[in-house]
This record gives sequence, structure tokens and C-alpha cells, in this order.
Amino acid sequence: MARTIHSLVLFLALAWLIPTGPARAADDSLQARIDALGTGGFADTAKQIQALAATGDDRVVPALEALLAGGLYVRQSDKKVFITKKAEGGFALIDPLTGRTAGTADTFAVKKIRVNNRLRRELKAALGGLTLLSKDPAVRLKAAAAVFKSQDPDALSALDAAILKETDDRVREAMRQARAAVQLKSDVPEADKVAALKVIEERGDRDALSVALAAAAQTEGAVKAAAEATAKSIRQTLELWSAAQNVWYGLSLGSVLLLAAIGLAITFGVMGVINMAHGEMVMIGAYVTFMVQEVIRTSLPGLFDYSLLIAVPLAFLVAGAVGMAIERGIIRFLYGRPLETLLATWGLSLVLQQTVRTIFGPTNREVGAPEFMSGAFEVGHLTVTYNRLWIIVFALAVLFALMAVLKKTPLGLQMRAVTQNRRMAGAMGIRTSWVDAVTFGLGSGIAGIAGVALSQIDNVSPNLGQSYIIDSFMVVVFGGVGNLWGTLVGAMTLGVANKFLEPYAGAVLGKVLVLVFIILFIQKRPRGLFALKGRAIET
Amino acid sequence: MKTYFRGAAAAIALTAAAMTASVAQAADTIKVGILHSLSGTMAISETTLKDVMLMLIEEQNKKGGLLGKKLEAVVVDPASNWPLFAEKARELIEVKKVDVVFGCWTSVSRKSVLPVFEELNSVLFYPVQYEGEESQKNVFYTGAAPNQQAIPAVDYLAKQEGVKRWVLAGTDYVYPRTTNKILETYLKAKGVAASDIMINYTPFGHSDWQTIVADIKKFGSAGKKTAVVSTINGDANVPFYKELANQGIKAEDIPVVAFSVGEEELAGLDTAPLVGHLAAWNYFMSASTPENAAFIKQWKTFIKNPKRVTNDPMEAHYIGFNMWVKAVEIAGTTAPDAVIDSIVGVTVPNLTGGVSAMMPNHHITKPVLIGEIQANGQFETVSSTPGLVPGDAWSDFLPGSKDLIADWRKPLACGNFNVKTGKCGGQGS
Amino acid sequence: MTLRLLQGGFDRRAWMFLAVLFTAALVVSVLSLTTQPGHPLHVPTYVVSLVGKYLCYALLALSVDLVWGFCGVLSLGHAAFFSLGGYAMGMYLMRQIGTRGVYGDPVLPDFMVFLNYKELPWFWYGFDQFWFAALMVVAVPGVLAFVFGWFAFRSRVTGVYLSIITQALTFALMLAFFRNDMGFGGNNGLTDFKDILGFDVQAGSTRAGLLMASAVALAFGFMICKALVNSKFGKVLIAVRDAESRTRFLGYRPENYKLLVWTLSACMAGVAGALYVPQVGIINPSEFTPANSIEVVIWVAVGGRGTLVGAAVGAVLVNLGKTVFTGVLPEFWLFALGGLFIAVTLFLPKGIVGTWDDLMARRRAARDAGDGELRGTAPQEAD
Repeated sequence: MARTIHSLVLFLALAWLIPTGPARAADDSLQARIDALGTGGFADTAKQIQALAATGDDRVVPALEALLAGGLYVRQSDKKVFITKKAEGGFALIDPLTGRTAGTADTFAVKKIRVNNRLRRELKAALGGLTLLSKDPAVRLKAAAAVFKSQDPDALSALDAAILKETDDRVREAMRQARAAVQLKSDVPEADKVAALKVIEERGDRDALSVALAAAAQTEGAVKAAAEATAKSIRQTLELWSAAQNVWYGLSLGSVLLLAAIGLAITFGVMGVINMAHGEMVMIGAYVTFMVQEVIRTSLPGLFDYSLLIAVPLAFLVAGAVGMAIERGIIRFLYGRPLETLLATWGLSLVLQQTVRTIFGPTNREVGAPEFMSGAFEVGHLTVTYNRLWIIVFALAVLFALMAVLKKTPLGLQMRAVTQNRRMAGAMGIRTSWVDAVTFGLGSGIAGIAGVALSQIDNVSPNLGQSYIIDSFMVVVFGGVGNLWGTLVGAMTLGVANKFLEPYAGAVLGKVLVLVFIILFIQKRPRGLFALKGRAIET
Repeated sequence: MKTYFRGAAAAIALTAAAMTASVAQAADTIKVGILHSLSGTMAISETTLKDVMLMLIEEQNKKGGLLGKKLEAVVVDPASNWPLFAEKARELIEVKKVDVVFGCWTSVSRKSVLPVFEELNSVLFYPVQYEGEESQKNVFYTGAAPNQQAIPAVDYLAKQEGVKRWVLAGTDYVYPRTTNKILETYLKAKGVAASDIMINYTPFGHSDWQTIVADIKKFGSAGKKTAVVSTINGDANVPFYKELANQGIKAEDIPVVAFSVGEEELAGLDTAPLVGHLAAWNYFMSASTPENAAFIKQWKTFIKNPKRVTNDPMEAHYIGFNMWVKAVEIAGTTAPDAVIDSIVGVTVPNLTGGVSAMMPNHHITKPVLIGEIQANGQFETVSSTPGLVPGDAWSDFLPGSKDLIADWRKPLACGNFNVKTGKCGGQGS
Repeated sequence: MTLRLLQGGFDRRAWMFLAVLFTAALVVSVLSLTTQPGHPLHVPTYVVSLVGKYLCYALLALSVDLVWGFCGVLSLGHAAFFSLGGYAMGMYLMRQIGTRGVYGDPVLPDFMVFLNYKELPWFWYGFDQFWFAALMVVAVPGVLAFVFGWFAFRSRVTGVYLSIITQALTFALMLAFFRNDMGFGGNNGLTDFKDILGFDVQAGSTRAGLLMASAVALAFGFMICKALVNSKFGKVLIAVRDAESRTRFLGYRPENYKLLVWTLSACMAGVAGALYVPQVGIINPSEFTPANSIEVVIWVAVGGRGTLVGAAVGAVLVNLGKTVFTGVLPEFWLFALGGLFIAVTLFLPKGIVGTWDDLMARRRAARDAGDGELRGTAPQEAD
């Protein structure tokens, strides 16, 4: 009812405005349509959006974009719609058509126009249709993608026009695909639809499959057959790619395991301390990241993209310092009694967890992702997410840096000397107790660095460390204690094995099978994949 | 060797002392037991509920207490350990002599304490949405039953978003299993084909979601509108949503509606990429009512942190506590039997502008709200049921329970009355 | 100390331990049954179950001490054997519920009804008989331990490697039992028990009975362990612990000795689990968590490794502390517990009982030094 009245008003307004000149009239009618966005429920707003899209006038784009971003408000007093910006004590109002400022309003004088998923879809489709001729090729590309998704038959003519004008090859290709997708939904002749399916098949990704399957379900005869053939062919290609995808997932899981385990490979692998507090060092690293981001958010928002880079050295220092304190305070009294280090560090892990819980509270803390770690890109039909990619790179970098430290620096030489033969090293003038502290600090520091990376994919909560400790031990033992290459190969093997089992056995059973495999493997090679040889090991 | 005797004697004496110390205290307060994990895996969710209870009790005492006595909170830590829940419940009732207990989060912790409450005849208020299929004389379920959360959410998606294909993803435990079973039956009854339903279970704390999110994407590319109904629990949600965001699954393409993700869980996340994903609850912090505004203000002052959020189980405790207070006032005593009798039918305002009532099946009436995640970590209500929905202890969509009802009023006084056989005690045979 | 034990056979300390054990169990049960609430000497059922639980833990700790203290095998997986025993008992108790479940199904436990099981899975057969369940309580952990040990000891997996794979074992079992498809009730486990051997599990007398049963089981386990370590067999065990290679060179087969003790220990853990379940009223997969196994090791360390009595004392003390502190200091008890573990490892490396022995030995040495003769040194423990 309200809507009918509204259309009536709109119509009257239009009728009244026409004599004053076409340009003015169009302006006012646009204004009226935009104002209409602020009335009625979601269904009414959807109709208004369609109506705005149908005008084909790209001046409505700012309003629609603002609506999509949740920045379009209605002024309560006169029901006029404005784009708003947060300002002192309320909002600054901007005219949606002209972009001119239109005064301010306090918080209660305006009401946000709400959108839901359906409206977001409508908006993206509308914006796609309207921005096909934008000056910016990136916007045009986005527009083409939006039209591909919406498959709105009304966009066909706009697409045809845009394709003719298009100069950028990539954008043209995207538009061609969008056009094919739209054709399948429109009432073009069958031959055109079959041709369109060829274009869809060229694209060959999941979205294309979706379009082909939808076409197969909605059409008859030759088109249906062609669509089914297309879907089948796309599916076959995708099956092949999914194997590659599994390897990628496996490597990515492996890199997470590797990161979690590297520090342990030092404290446990090299020093022989059964370090149950290792997970808590990872947790400390994650909380350092949180603190760094917190400081940056409040005082230096511009640096947010560098927050992880800043957090890495800090996490290393903080976790390393805690590690050294632990070594000096507890571990050093327990050398030669490896199983007792297990007990003390277990107690320590309880204390550290509860400390963090007391300071930061038990709930999860938000660690944001910087720009370079968000999103994904496609390699062929392989989706590679940036955060996973960076974590793999980071894990390998940490591993190789650590190897370099152990192999190439005097400190590394001393560490190896002390762990191989403490008394001999002491006799050669190495301060063994200092080297112990530094080695433990190094292992802990690396665990802290791992925490920075893991904060990107997991919860930052006091329980963070607990979820990695068992896996870390498995990796180190499977790879062979005291061998960093073993840790690398072990982590990657377990990661890939896990991911290949998961589709068939499910996540839980897959993990159980991997654990059983480790148990059996240790029977075969009681000292892991890369066992150290020699009599010294026997003792 | 005598020392052994002495040691043992001392140990026994110590136990006895610890056990009886609190009994000796003056009985001029009404004791309220709080049984929420403060350490271990569930501390992340349950600590907040302990705090909210302390706040409510403090508030009640400011109003002059109850029956002329002050309320006294007795907090224990069951440490996310299920047998310890039973032990601590027993300690609270038998040794600390509390008059009522507010507590538990997980289904297993509730199952663990049930026999204790039954045996010692005390009262438990359970504030979390759960799988239903239960109605016990001594327990009041102030969280949502499946019909107060899951079914309205699915209806919304089917109607408003035109969803035709469903992924039911959950953590492998009883709540998701039951909810998914109910939903599966419900969807099939609505004409959804079996091939259009994908069910997936993951372990607790699952953190590597790459494969499953890719599977969801695959399932979603069948040319039909797809949605995910998530009963993924607690900690596993953050990595799940991070993976969704990174793999570029937008709410417009494949919306995810969650039943276990509230404001607290979102506080650990950057929600900008998640805008539009949904959750179904009976309360959102964004509800604009004066009661809610006052509650939020009170909470932030009490916890001394302006950034803390409120969530649905907190509201459940708010309702449950107020109902208990009212029931005690009506009964004039805190004796469990009297309270259990007087609380049925008690109504108290909830925080979303309605009035919730305790029903004879020990569940309460609640509004069902569907909200979309916003960039600021809050939910915006996009749909709500016209009135309040009464909680259904026994689902109509499960073969084992469709004939069962619960009514604790006399003379029926039965938690699993079979309307077919006319007998109390389940399906019978 | 071990030497002294061998000479003295069943020594005074052992008798003392048994006497204290039975006195405590009897006093608690009798007081709880004969006095009314309000009586100054009344013991609530809460305490009865609590003491019963401690005794089950003590038996578990004893089984760990047997393999760790006398055989040098540090097991981080004994929670697995404990839980398997518990599940076997839990299955019996579930079958006893009969039609009293919420759905009233005569055969299927509640969780199976709502997971739409049509009939009982094969591995649930027989558990309606107590004798069968009792057999399984010992047999399931025993067989698992035997198979696991057979492979591990033969392959000469030792030290930390062995510890870590025992941890993998219990972790794998935990994940498996969490799956609802396994048919063991998933995360909720088995609960809502009604009666055991016809007695109501909630009744005070049943609880007292279970407490006494736990005390008997602990005493029995203790005597077996004591007899075992005092025999010639025990001597070889200690030799294996202190120098496995040398023992092998002397012509013994260490793996057989280890295997037998390992299996026995697993059976004891299973019995402990079976007695634990009816007293706490629930068994669920979180009992399998590796953290639980580590905690058992800590009880043993606190009490004194390789002393048997110490294991039981440690288990009772640590759990008593936990009970008290989770009630008194709910927010800070983890600090106390964690601090205790650190302090014990640092300052009492031989645990309470071991340190006591040292003290006694030193006193005796001081006295004997007057005679110009030095005897009896502190026990030597090697890893």
C-alpha cells in the first residue's frame, strides 16, 4: 500500500517536473528514486535498486556504492537520502547525486538504510551493469565479474556496447564471458546459447561450472545437452586440478607444523629438553603480535600493514627472553635428567597459560591480517591464499636462517660443541652455561616467531599453544631428533599425508591414521626419519 | 614410620576441614552456586558467564537481596573437565549448601551433572543453546532449543535468499549431530533432495579448514543457490571464518548461518570480510531496547572494560536469574521443590523488548532473531519472529521423540511423556 | 632402598600403607553410612566418592610407577588404558539402564536411539553380563598394551621416542572416540548410569561399597607390584632400567621383561578406570587426553618414583590439592598446581617418599659414622 502511494507520488512529481526541462527533470527523478531507497522493507529497496539500475545513469553509482558499504542514511525530518561520513557529534551529509556537502546531522537525526545479502547481490549486479564503461579498467573488470555472477539479461545491450569499446584484452575477455553467461539466461536463439557454452567451457573454473549446471537445469534440447557436456568437461579438468590443490593444502599444513616444530627442534632436538612449555612460547609470540597491533591501531594506524614485520623481532626477543629466564631459573638444574624437564616444563606451561589468562582475559583476541596477507589469487584453477603462501615462505625462511646460524656462526659452532660434548667444549674455553641459555633462548624465540605467523590463521587465546604441542613433538620425533632437515621433511610429509587422507577418511580419521602411521614408522626406524648415528646417541 | 600415620591423618583432617569449613559459615545468606569453567578449553566462553552472574548477584544485593537475605555467590572451577563438573556440582550442593546453581556450557558437562541434581534435588539453570531431547525436573533450560534457533534460520534462508542447496557443517558432538538430524528431516520434508544436502563433521578445535572450505565451494558450484548451516563450535570458528574470507567466499555467494557464533567469538576476528554472514540467536547486543542499553552499560562498568561485548548466553543467565528471583519470591523460600513448582509460568522481561515465560517443560519462550555480521563485529537483525517461540524439549522431526512431551506440572510431572502410549518414560515398548 | 626391600621382603612400610589405606576407607564409608547429616562426624557422600576417586587415581599412579620406576619406560599414554577400562565398565553400566533411559528403549542406549541406530553394534554384545565386562576391563587394555609393546620393545624403541609414541597412541584413541560414528557416544561419552550388579549407583551404600572395592583393588595391585619387584624378576627389571644394553649382553631378553610388566601395568590401569567410572558417573573421550597421562606421571614424581607407596601418596596429595584449590582459589589454582610441579622437580627430585628415605638414610649414616662404618647410600636412580 505504502509503495503504491509512493509510486503515485513519484509519478505526480515526475509529471509536474517535465515542463521545466528534460535535464532538470531527469535529475529530480533520479533524486526522487534515490530518496525512495529509504522507504519500505528489503523487498521495496530491492525494487528501487533495480529501477535505479534500469536508468543506466552512472550518476547513481556513488549512492549505490554507499548503500553497499552501509553509508547511506535517511534524514528523519524530510526523508531525504544522503551519503554520510562520520563527523564530530554525528555525521557529515553529502548529496548523493552532486557529491556536494549538505550540512551535518546528529546521530539520531538520521537512520541507516539497512542492506541484507539479497540487496548486496542486487547492488553488485546493478553496479556491474552501470560501471561497464568506467574509465578505470579495474572497475570495468569488477563490473564484468559482477554481471557474470548476476546473469542479468537486461545487461546484455550494455555489455555489447562495452565490448565494442573495450581496449583492454583481459577486460574484454571477462566481458565476453559475462556476455555468454547472460545469454544463457536470456531468450537468444539456441545456436547462440551453444556458442556461449563454448566460452563458458574456456573459462573452466568453478563459477563456470556453476553457470553450466544451472543452464543444464533450466533449458531443454540441444542447449541442455551442450550444457551437460560442458559441465562434464569442466568437471574433469577440475578433478585433475584438485590433486594439485591437495598437494598445496598439504604443503601449507606442513608449513604450519614446521613453524610450530622448528623451535622445538632446538630445545628438544638439540638440547634434549622435553619442553612442554614450547606451545606457550608460540602463544607468547601470538600475544606480542596482538599487542603490537593494538598499539598501532590506537596510535599509528598508518603502520598497520607493517605490524607483522614489527612483531617478528619483538616476538623473538620477548619469547627468547622468557626462554632464557626459564633456562636460567629451572632447566639448568635439570640437565642430564631429560624426563624431569618434562615435569617442570609442564608445570611451567600451566603457569604461563594462567598468567596470560589473567592478564589478557580468557577470550580470543583479534589479530588482523595486513593487506598483503589477505585474499587469494588463482594459478590455473588452483586457489592460492596469500596468508598460506606467506606462511610457507616464512617457515622456510626461518628454517634456513636457523640452519645458517647453526652452521655458519661462531655461536652455532659453540652450540653444537656444547650439545655434543659438554665437558670437552668447556675444556676448550666455551662458557657452556651461557651457551645453554642462549640456545634455549633461540629455540624459544623461534617459537615466538612462529606465534606471529600462527596468529594469522588460528585463535589468539591462552589455549593456542596446547593445540600445537603434540603435533610439534610428532614432527620432531618423526623427522629425527636433532636434525633440522628431518623436521622439514617430517612436517611436509605429515602435512601432505593428512591432506590426502582427509577427503577420503574425513578430518578426524585422517589424523588418526597419520598418528598410527607415525607409531608404526617409529617401530621401523626407532630414531626417526633422519637418525643421528654414533655411539653417543645410545646413552 | 609414625609420620605416615600422621601424614595420612593430617590429609584426612585437611579434607574434612576443607569440606566442612564452608558448612560452618552462617546460614543467613542465600547461596548461589556458579559452575562455569575458569580454566581449560571452555574458559574462553564460560568465564564471561561467571562474571555476569557475579554482576547480577551484586545488583540484586543492591536492591536489598532476596527474602530479606543477602545473596552470596559461590564460585568453583570445574576446569573444563567433565567428571569434575559432577564432582563440583556435588560439592556445591552437598558441602557448600547452595540453593541454586547456574552453570555448564557444553552438553557433556550438563549430562555429567544431571544425575547429581536429580539425586540431591537441587536446581540448575543452563544458559546455552543446546540439542534438546531432554527435560529434567531439576534443570531449567534458558538457552534455545533447536526449534528456537535452527528451524527459523533455515526458513529465512530458504525464503529470503532462495537457498536450494545446503551444507550442514558442524563439530562432531551431540549438539550439531542432533541439530543436523532435525534440519535434514525438516529440509527433506520441504522437498529438498538428499543430493542437495551435504553433511560434514570436524573434530573439536579443528584449525585447518582448507579442504573443507574448498569442498563447500565445490558443492556450491552446482548452479543452485547454496548456504552453509554451521554448528561449528567455539574455537574452531575463527580459523573457519578466516579461511572463508581468504578463499573469497562472500556472503552474497554462499552465506553461512551459524548457531554458535556470537559477539564474543567475533571479538577475536576482523569481521570486514565476513559482512553478511548470518547467525541465529535469541539476543543480539545490537538490540535497541532500554533494558538492553542498561544491561550493556552495567556490564561494561562491572567488568571495567568498555570494549567487552554481551551475548546470548549472558542474556539467558539474565532471564534465568530474574526468573529464579521471582519464583523464590512467590514461593517465599528457596527450597528446590517449592521453587520448581512456582517457577512455571513466571514471566520476566528479556532484553529484546519481549517478556519471556518459563514453560511447563522447563524451557522458556524466546524471540528468534536472524542477524547479519557487520564490519564492527556486531550483528544487525534482518529478521525476527513475530512473537516469542516456546522452546520444544522434544523435536517433532526426530523419529525417537516426536511422540514425547514434557510437562512438569502436577499431576503429569513427567519429562518424557509419550502421548501415543499415554505413559511416562519415553517410547516404551 | 630397592636393596633393602629385597632383603626385607614385604617390609614394614608396605604393611603400614595397607593399614592406613583400609583404615581410611573404612572410616569414611562407615561414617557416611551410620551418621546422619548434621552429625559432627558425618561424612557426605561427596567425600566418599571423592576418596574413591583418589584411590582409583592411586592405582593408576601405581601402574605408571611400576613401568617407569622399575622398568624405565616413561609412559605418556596410560590414560588410554585407564579410559579403555573405564569404557568397558561404562558399556556394562549403559546396558544395565534398560528401559529407564529417556527414550525407554530396552536395548539401545539413549545416544544410539537419537543417532538412529537400528540395532546394537557387535562390539556392544556381551556387555550386559558383568563377568564379560569385567573380563574386558582387563583384556582390552592388556591386549592393546601387549600388541603395542610387542612391536615397540622388539624394535628397541626407547626413551623419549617411546614416550612420544605412547602419547600418539592415546591421542589417536582420543580422536577416534570423539567420533560419534565409533558407537561410543562421542563427546558426551557414557553417562546417566542407574545401577551396578543390581545396586543403585547413587545409593550411599553402593558408593561406600565402590570405595571399599577401590581400596581392595589398590591393595591388591600394590601387593602384586611389591611381590614382583621383590622377586628375582624384579632384579632383572631394575637392571633393564639402569643398563638395558648390559642386561642384554648378560643373556637376558629385556624386551620380554618389559613386555610383561608393561602389559600388567596396562591391566592395572584398566581396573583403575573401571572402578573410577561408576564413582564419577561419566566416561568420555577427554579422559584420553595426553595431558591426563602427563599428570599421572607427575603424581608419581611428586610422590617418589620407584617407591610404589610414593605413587599412591603422590596421586592422593596432588588430587586433594586440586579439589581444595579449585574450590578455594578458582582463578588461581593453576598457579599453585604448576608451581608445585616445578618446585617438586627442582627441590624434591626424588619425590616426597624418596626424599624422606634420603633423610632417614643420612640420619642412619650419621649414626653409623660414629661406628666408623659407612653403609646404606641414597638410592641410585638413573634415566
